[in-house]
Amino acid sequence: MVFVWLTAFFLLIALIVLVIYQLMCLADLEFDYINPYDSSLRINKVVIPEFVLQGVLCLLFLLSGHWLMFLFCVPNLYYNVRLYRQRQHLVDVTEIFNQLNGEKKRRLLKLINLVVLLFLSLFWMIWSVLEDDE
Amino acid sequence: MQPMGNDKPANVPGRPVLPSPAAPQLSTPFISPGPVVGLGASGVPQTTAPFLSSRPITGTQMSDYRSPSPPPPIRYNGPSSPPPPTSYPGQDATIYQQTHATRFPLPAQPGTPLRGPPSVGLPVTPPIGSLRPQPQIPSVPMGPAPQIGTHLSSRSYMPPPLSESSFSAPRPPPQPSLHGYSNVLPRGNMPPSPAETQFLAPRPVSQPPSQQAFPSFHVPPVHASPYHVHQGGVVPPPPPPPLGGPLGYNSREQMQYPNTGPPMGGSLQGLIEEFQSLSVGSAPGSLDHGVDAKSLPRPLNGDEEAIKIQETYPLNCHQRFFRLTTHAIPTSQSLLARWHLPLGAVVHPLAEVPDGEEVPIVNFGPAGVIRCRRCRTYVNPYVTFTDAGRKWRCNLCSLLNDVPGEYYCALDASGRRCDFDQRPELSKGSVEFVAPTEYMVRPPMPPVYFFLIDVSISAVQCGLLEIVAKTIKSCLDELPGFPRTQIGFLTFDSALHFHNLKSSLTQPQMLVVADLDDIFLPLPDDLLVNLSDSRHVVDALLDSLPSMFQDNVNVESALGPALKAAFMIMSRLGGKLLVFQSTLPSLGVGRLRLRGDDLRIYGTDKEHTLRMPEDPFYKQMAAEFTKNQIAVDVYAFSEKYTDIASLGSLAKYTGGQVYHHPSFQATTHQEKLRYELARDLTRETAWEAVMRIRCGKGVRFTTYHGHFMLRSTDLLALPAVDCDKAFAMQLSLEDTLMTTQTVYFQVALLYTSSSGERRIRVHTAAAPVVADLGEMYRQADTGAIISLLSRLAIEKTQSHKLDDARQLMQLKLVKSLKEYRNLYVMQHRLGGRLIFPESLKFLPLYVLSLCKSVALRGGYADASLDERCAAGYNMMILPIRRMLRLLYPGLYKIDENLIKGPEDFEKSLKQLALSAQSLDPRALYIYDDGFSFIIWLGRMLSPDLVNGILGFDLSGFPDLSKLALLEHDNEYSRKLMRIIKRLREKDPSCFQLCRVVRQGEQPREGSLLLSNLIEDQTAGTSSYVDWILQIYRQSQSS
Repeated sequence: MVFVWLTAFFLLIALIVLVIYQLMCLADLEFDYINPYDSSLRINKVVIPEFVLQGVLCLLFLLSGHWLMFLFCVPNLYYNVRLYRQRQHLVDVTEIFNQLNGEKKRRLLKLINLVVLLFLSLFWMIWSVLEDDE
Repeated sequence: MQPMGNDKPANVPGRPVLPSPAAPQLSTPFISPGPVVGLGASGVPQTTAPFLSSRPITGTQMSDYRSPSPPPPIRYNGPSSPPPPTSYPGQDATIYQQTHATRFPLPAQPGTPLRGPPSVGLPVTPPIGSLRPQPQIPSVPMGPAPQIGTHLSSRSYMPPPLSESSFSAPRPPPQPSLHGYSNVLPRGNMPPSPAETQFLAPRPVSQPPSQQAFPSFHVPPVHASPYHVHQGGVVPPPPPPPLGGPLGYNSREQMQYPNTGPPMGGSLQGLIEEFQSLSVGSAPGSLDHGVDAKSLPRPLNGDEEAIKIQETYPLNCHQRFFRLTTHAIPTSQSLLARWHLPLGAVVHPLAEVPDGEEVPIVNFGPAGVIRCRRCRTYVNPYVTFTDAGRKWRCNLCSLLNDVPGEYYCALDASGRRCDFDQRPELSKGSVEFVAPTEYMVRPPMPPVYFFLIDVSISAVQCGLLEIVAKTIKSCLDELPGFPRTQIGFLTFDSALHFHNLKSSLTQPQMLVVADLDDIFLPLPDDLLVNLSDSRHVVDALLDSLPSMFQDNVNVESALGPALKAAFMIMSRLGGKLLVFQSTLPSLGVGRLRLRGDDLRIYGTDKEHTLRMPEDPFYKQMAAEFTKNQIAVDVYAFSEKYTDIASLGSLAKYTGGQVYHHPSFQATTHQEKLRYELARDLTRETAWEAVMRIRCGKGVRFTTYHGHFMLRSTDLLALPAVDCDKAFAMQLSLEDTLMTTQTVYFQVALLYTSSSGERRIRVHTAAAPVVADLGEMYRQADTGAIISLLSRLAIEKTQSHKLDDARQLMQLKLVKSLKEYRNLYVMQHRLGGRLIFPESLKFLPLYVLSLCKSVALRGGYADASLDERCAAGYNMMILPIRRMLRLLYPGLYKIDENLIKGPEDFEKSLKQLALSAQSLDPRALYIYDDGFSFIIWLGRMLSPDLVNGILGFDLSGFPDLSKLALLEHDNEYSRKLMRIIKRLREKDPSCFQLCRVVRQGEQPREGSLLLSNLIEDQTAGTSSYVDWILQIYRQSQSS
């Protein structure tokens, strides 16, 4: 059980890093440190890995029977799948400035969701470690 | 209201016309500036006059009207007149009226006969008498009473002349004022000057005769009583004392009276200009509709650019380069929130200028371009020099900068530089700086033209290939940038054909690449060559192109791979890529499928996807093109669906343009294609440009609309830009409160000229910061607003339904009018009128026509998807003048010009209202929307004329769609051609193809002309009159 939580913990850390990286690219773009081509290239490179990791995380919770945690993950996963199916998951270099605020907002929400998950899984991890000890 | 209503029945049994109080008759027609005055003044005084006979009543009403800024002169408080404070409150007025009414009867009856215009209220009078319960009043010539009378009188009076008989008095269209109901009408009619005078006349006493005259009018007041309720506003709450002056009659006759008081001062004028109003709305029980279609405002005199700004700010750049939607920047966010129209600017950096007004070129030489250290603003007429000329203060960020030694000049006594006059950058709002090498990332590029020509069967069959080849050949000598100009060609169908144009060859070599998956260039160079070196090879290629593919039966089109190949060829230099596409791209990357033929998708949430590029390939290509300074112009010709939405995105993000020639046929359309292609190739073009707009502290440009790509938050990348492209942008306020008095804007376009010089074109403008919403409305610029609105609407259609976009436009219009109404309605009690500022009088019409424009109109059946998208792309780049012309096209009756002598036909054409009522079956009309001409032949037009123009007998030639209008050897035809030529000269940026249509020739007449008569009601859309009523109703509801 501890193993599951440990995996989840690292997955979450990875996800948070990816999302923060995207946010940084967007912020850099906003302050004109990089041009839109580079910015969108960098963001688009990590979008698919992020989606995959998110899927793996959900699967992990599902298979290990942590229904509550799974439920916390599902909205994010559903959103990702929807974006992907509408082919809107990649940022559009031509419209990136018009979409800047929306893109930032959606990534911030994701980040909040992930951070909450992170704390929960930390809690459960410690809990399960303590339980194992007993 | 209620009380009034009660009175009315009693008072006016027979008043037919009176608008019932309940209904918002507000008939006042527009209160044209002049008329406005008249209202307040005239109405009031009249009533009073009779009553008060010789009392010194003042024109209180007048003051009311203008209450917001009541000019002192307006309120004439008769010295004698005691101010009855109690009665005045506007609403109370109704009560007063009643009381006063009693008086009326007496004077009224006698009066009526006296008065020339008996029609007004005569019948009413008797009832009035009965009504009036209060006899006392007569003795007291107090303020309140007069008011009533005035209201009444004004309305009643007015009607007699104009409205009474027929609500819609036939006005000359040019008149701005609408006559709504008879009630208010008078104002509109009144010539402004007379009205004013009346107002002025302060002393009733002095003018006994006039007063007598009044009585007659009074009668009408009875009817009017209901009005009062509405117009209660007239009765000025603030101006308590003055009684209505007897003087001001609305009726013109009165105007003529000599007794009118002293002329108003300028202040009055100001008031007058404050707003206009239209009387609208049908009053229950009154005439069926309250708007006189003929008197609605229409831009029939051409659009006049707002010159007055140039007068207040003579150092601003000319309006043709930069226009704000309102030339008054709000001082706070909360004020901005009440301005529901977009706040922004329309920039046309390379607008064509008439001879003699060219933008001066300045070379700073060793001093370098003088700019602010911090905000990088260029030196401009608004900077101030201090410290004996050694420092200058930036007008945008207030930073003190040093003046370079080479640029130093002493100051004169007034603090201006002594060389002020010799330096255009200090005396003109628009200048062009020669940029030194710091402004180059690479050597200035030569003009590059690369042609990507579809040679599949459809292109060959319609004659497109031949015309394109011939036109290009004829333009070779005029391509800008000789001798550095470079040129290249690539033709494609299911394979790519490269053309080796090496100067040592005598004949061009064609190299075919059939592998579409892995594009490579068969030659490292020589695909793009210097024109002057390889001229003979290029000529040979263009001569042989049409015959080379004459028998091509290939139906495929590999546009995507061709674009990639072109990109590989051009990426080193950049330049202009012209794509000629005659069918849907069907092979390789970027292949597109037929869509848009699905009727069911309209009205659903997926509707907008039709207007979006289907394949991200095109957007990605566009981004790459822009990155490499390549601009793409798309020429599309197919009669079938070609997915302009996708192809157009190539032009959208590269500063290009979409030329759509649906169903191209060489015989009829060649002239248009020739002209437009030639203009595209030969007009002055700015290469590898970037544009930035700087503005003073507190404001910021947030969104940009047009064909460009944003390279950073405020930097527009424009691989190529020319005089046919304009850009729009929206402003937002950064601070909650602006601290400065003036905001400065500076447009800077850095580009490479065709001659290979790096230049910076700088336009500087200043706008005042205001704290008054009314001032913002006064300074509003309809042209800029509608230009920005239309771009917003087009963008809205790309993410929402068409209907949503239309509703958004309507909502913005309604909200702004409602807000404006709230500004004045309290003060003026303009209950029943649609009021709007003079500056926005055409806005409702333009918004209506925007909603009916090809890009936004109807649904599936009203315009083909390609035409809709092409129109959308066009509207995104149109300069203001052409946009207004497109939205309200010219309609001219020209048969008389053709028939009459030469001197007559030279006279200017008179523009008509865009309504089927303007069409007379016995006449011939020409319709000009800036993109095409439609010649409409009336059914009963003389056969001589028709045959002369067409060159054959119409009865034997039923299909006019294939007709190309040529000059024939007769007087009619020659004159017609001369008229057409003159109209074309007005707008050289496009060739207006002439199409001839006969009256009753369906469905062509419907699609070409009738659906474009935007004032008429068509399926699902409202007519101009209905629209005004609709807007009025919505702006009325809170």
